[in-house]
Amino acid sequence: MTNESPSHHNSTLTISPLIANRTRDIGGTPSYNQPLFPSPLAATPFRDTSESNSIRNLSTTKDNGSTSNLSAAEKLRLWRHDALMQHHYRTAEYIGDKVLSLTDDPNDAFWLAQVHYSNGNYYRARKLLSFKNLDATSVSCRYLTVLCLMKLEKWDEALDVVGETNPFKNESQNIRNTDGGIKLEASLCFLRGQIYSNQNNLERAKECYKEAVLVDVKCFEAFDELIRNDLLTPFEEWELLSLLDFSDVEENSELIKLLYTSRINKYLNTEKYEEAQIILKEDYNLKQNTDVVLGKADLFFIQCKFQNCLELCEEILKNDELNFQVLPIYLACLHELGGKNKLFLTAHKLAQHYPKKSITWLAVGIYYFAIDRISDARKFFSKASILDPNCGQAWIGFAHTFAAEGEHEQAIAAYSTASRFFPGTHLPNLFLGMQYLQMGNLTLASEYLLSSYSICSVDPLLLNEMGVIYYHKNELTSAENYFTQALLASKNLGSDSKAWISVHANLGHVYRKTGFYSKALASFEKVLKFSNNDSNIYSAIGLIYLKAGDVTKSIENLHYALAINSNDPVAADLLKRALDENCSIDIQSHTNNDFFARSKDIFSANNATYAYRQQQANKNSLKTPLTNKHRNINQINNRNTLNSSIDQVAADLINGEDSSDDGDDVMELSD
Amino acid sequence: MNQSLELDHLKFQLREATELLGSLGLYQGSKWCAEALNGIISNDLSKNLSSDKKSDSDETLSIYDLEDNEYDNNETTPVNDPLYNVIFKFPKVQSKINDKYQFAKSLFDCKEFDRCSQTLNGLKSSKCIFLRLYSKFLSHEKKKEEETEGVLGQNDNYNSTNPSIPLILKELDQLFDENNNHKFENYSENPFLLYLKGILLLRQKFNSLAQQTLIKSLKIYPFNWSCWVELISSLNNLDQSLQILKDFESFFEIKFLNKSNFNNNQIHPIQIIVKIVKIVINQEFFQQSMELYDDLNYLLQIFPNFSYLKTQKALISYHSMDYQEAEDLFDDILTNDPLRLDDMDIYSNILYVMEKKSKLSYLAQFASSIDRFRSETCCIVANYYSLKFEHEKAIMYYRRALTLNRNCLSAWTLMGHEFVELKNSHAAIESYRRAVDTNIKDFKAWYGLGQAYEVLDMHLYSLYYYQRACTLKPLDKRIWQALGNCYEKLNKFKDSIKSYKKVLNLNEVENFDNSSIFFKLALLYEKLLNSDKVYEFMKLCYNEEINLNVKNDETAKARLWLSKFEIKNKNFELAYNYASDFNHGTSQEIEEARSIAREARNRINSKLPNL
Repeated sequence: MTNESPSHHNSTLTISPLIANRTRDIGGTPSYNQPLFPSPLAATPFRDTSESNSIRNLSTTKDNGSTSNLSAAEKLRLWRHDALMQHHYRTAEYIGDKVLSLTDDPNDAFWLAQVHYSNGNYYRARKLLSFKNLDATSVSCRYLTVLCLMKLEKWDEALDVVGETNPFKNESQNIRNTDGGIKLEASLCFLRGQIYSNQNNLERAKECYKEAVLVDVKCFEAFDELIRNDLLTPFEEWELLSLLDFSDVEENSELIKLLYTSRINKYLNTEKYEEAQIILKEDYNLKQNTDVVLGKADLFFIQCKFQNCLELCEEILKNDELNFQVLPIYLACLHELGGKNKLFLTAHKLAQHYPKKSITWLAVGIYYFAIDRISDARKFFSKASILDPNCGQAWIGFAHTFAAEGEHEQAIAAYSTASRFFPGTHLPNLFLGMQYLQMGNLTLASEYLLSSYSICSVDPLLLNEMGVIYYHKNELTSAENYFTQALLASKNLGSDSKAWISVHANLGHVYRKTGFYSKALASFEKVLKFSNNDSNIYSAIGLIYLKAGDVTKSIENLHYALAINSNDPVAADLLKRALDENCSIDIQSHTNNDFFARSKDIFSANNATYAYRQQQANKNSLKTPLTNKHRNINQINNRNTLNSSIDQVAADLINGEDSSDDGDDVMELSD
Repeated sequence: MNQSLELDHLKFQLREATELLGSLGLYQGSKWCAEALNGIISNDLSKNLSSDKKSDSDETLSIYDLEDNEYDNNETTPVNDPLYNVIFKFPKVQSKINDKYQFAKSLFDCKEFDRCSQTLNGLKSSKCIFLRLYSKFLSHEKKKEEETEGVLGQNDNYNSTNPSIPLILKELDQLFDENNNHKFENYSENPFLLYLKGILLLRQKFNSLAQQTLIKSLKIYPFNWSCWVELISSLNNLDQSLQILKDFESFFEIKFLNKSNFNNNQIHPIQIIVKIVKIVINQEFFQQSMELYDDLNYLLQIFPNFSYLKTQKALISYHSMDYQEAEDLFDDILTNDPLRLDDMDIYSNILYVMEKKSKLSYLAQFASSIDRFRSETCCIVANYYSLKFEHEKAIMYYRRALTLNRNCLSAWTLMGHEFVELKNSHAAIESYRRAVDTNIKDFKAWYGLGQAYEVLDMHLYSLYYYQRACTLKPLDKRIWQALGNCYEKLNKFKDSIKSYKKVLNLNEVENFDNSSIFFKLALLYEKLLNSDKVYEFMKLCYNEEINLNVKNDETAKARLWLSKFEIKNKNFELAYNYASDFNHGTSQEIEEARSIAREARNRINSKLPNL
């Protein structure tokens, strides 16, 4: 549709499809029989539509060349419609009311209700639609009624109107919708889902959303609701995608399919996703499009490549400063990377422009969480979750604040709520498992972790926790198994995050316990390569060397451990043992490993010098008398045995040997 | 043998190295190469005054008589000579990229590290990658320094590590992994990227891996002196170091000398570098040998004006306790290059030990007049104050030295000594720890740790530290003595005996009074109930009195013991001999000796009639 933007002389109709279609039709392209827009010009009797599912069918097939040959009522309708488009609600209401009185057409009643709805007069709209039983006879009226009831928060009544199940289930599956709009049936399914979701019946809600998007793939709202709220497990998501019928969108089917593909989770089938991305970028030239970039960012986020993710997010936000889809990931990345300052700025912007959005207070909460003001963070997370009870991030953040303070019980309660809202994500269950693990309740912990595992089996963090459980249960082979799986997963995801580090550390501990010292050392070494301020790792290495009988290295590593954390009781204890071992030769049958044997090579390497010195000494002893030798030796010791050297100096000073020195006051060096 | 060509080649390589290292911001390495280049003997001299040039030029003239020849139009370097091939060169890049590199390099020179690395973002040529990562590293080093609030300040924790290191290491590993599909260069064969990886690994305490990486880098490009310095600092074990040296020697022999066009009589410049390294390593491990001196003299013939080599020579003298020679050498360095502050802190240590207070004062003044804010200057001044017993001031100056250069090697140890003076063992231990952390070869710091813990009666700890010191300097009898003492305190008498015997071994060289050691050994054997040995060592102790004419408590006690022993064995005459001229010791001992002597005499007298 290539219309000029309207000047103040035109109405919005100039850009409305209504006009566009008309002009095209005049140009002799009769391909569009039905205008995209539900037209106020529709003159078809209302009851015709009851057989159809779409309000588009309300519109006429009659071709009107121009407004000039319209009837008076039709002109009023046009006025009303344009007033609505320009948000002149009082005008629209005023005129709509007159049209309705003049014609008594149900369609005009619908449009008047539409005006009321837009104006926020939900109750009046509802009343108008129930007038004459319109909501029973017309699908579109029923749809609007449900919307009004939902706005009025009369959820039960809304459910009554919309029906507990889809009444059209059997008839309409295969009927193609030719007008290009969204099937009302799908929209009704979507509304049903929203009602169920509000009644906390997430299972039903999920089914309804699925149905909606299956009925009409164009019902993106339902699809988005499913994906955004993680209502489906990764596998279900891919299954749903394969079931969707994209033929409804005709020539756009491939594009839409690719877009949907790049929207859903990236746990599985990464190749397909990559492929979709490439086609979208190359064939459709959507390289800069927000959603395409967002998909990429999502992938980076899941792979724990936070830096790359952050860069993409910033690219999106450059054009669209407060894009609500990007913001959650963006905020999480900032938190992960310690970008406190940017968090502060973003939170402030949001608070300024959207003080009533939950994301705003989520951002504020994350900021306070990042600067370690836990109680403030909790306050704002809870505010965010009150504003939007479906905001899972807020719930998880809320739970994190308790976890950070070690309040396990409350953290568990909050995580449980989150897990209810996010049945499709493994994270809440994972966190629950972690909490129980910290409380030492291995059974419950493993239960939650397993349920998390059933949702997502590739998260290295989860696999790591599973390994830890088995480690604590002393089932070391299973633990090793999980840790290696975790490593594999993190390799697939190409991450180097904290998760990766702790997996290696844990694997090292397992190898240490099972006695594979060299493997354990290799694991620990990998950890140290990326983070070397964990005293535990050094302690573990020290322990391994101690067991393997390399006391020197053991002591060295234990020293590193204590240097990092001088109060580490484990390291201190180990160090004591290592030192004990160091001095007693044959405590654990390392008979040939005492200090003298160990250093044999080093000593022998010095032999040449020893020989040389001996030679020199012999020469000297032939040449020079030894009288002054002793004094020299005492001096030699000076730098090390300071006490004696100072004594010597003092003695010399008293004896006036150094009387030549007059530089005492020379050294006035200012600071 | 064409000595002159070899010199030209050496000069050529050093020239190339100076430029290359300088262009990468490796200033110290570049400075070293340039200093070496200018320290080389001039051609005229080496050609033994050959006919084509001024025959009467002597060394000093050839340096200062440059004015006439300063402008030189003929290109003298025979570029096309196959021998003069450049050992390593970065691949050529587009001029656009080069412009960017130049911009980044100038930012680097202005110490705008972040901006420098940002400028080079996304560039793929190895030179750009190196500078980008290197400046990133330095930027975080600088920030870390700023956050610590001064040396041993509030945030100056051991574990305040540079957060960029893991990231850079990871990026390097990725580059090395994917090198196979890169068209123009092989990152994993790039000596400078390897060098960077090596120094980062060193920071992360991956000593052996770091060494391997640095060695690999050096095998590709042996003129990177900065790399040598890092490698040498990472060595902590003499036999292993000698092994590495041998490995280098044979590697370069195969790589460079077996080339057909190379005359085997000649010495390749790389061999010169390896020789220098060999001397440095031997110096750092307190070694001396004829071979070493020969090598050193040979090198000094080639580089008569290379102060660095002279410093090495002075250090060798210093370590072998020939302080006079060390002082002379440093005086020589100072006269030839008076403004060179490098290593002058070592000179001040020598003066300190020699107690040349006025000279030290002069040196301190002199250094301050050159640059008051060099870590070397601060060390010299601190040494001066230490000699004047102004320990607080000394500590202040050491702190300043460390603020200026945290890797200033000796300052940590010396500061530890000062804290010991102030009886602050806690701070002393912390300083010593930092010392061994920056320089693992610092035996003085290890020894200091041992002493500090000994004061605290933690003998298990001090034993370990003495052992560490001992492996670094096994020819130092003080350490063995401390070890023996420590073992004794821990009731490990056998080990104690072993240690003391080592002391005796080392003392043999110097014909030194061993009476106290003998006495110690005797006491130890007494504890082990080995009376034969006790007798043997008591006797040896006594012999010291006879041979060296020393009289001290130990010999006196030995006398007393021997006399009692002989009484027991009824050798009254011997007993009388031991006890009779006993005149050194406490009054009690003298009294005891007298009574023994009396008894012995009585016994002798009573026995006589029987005979």
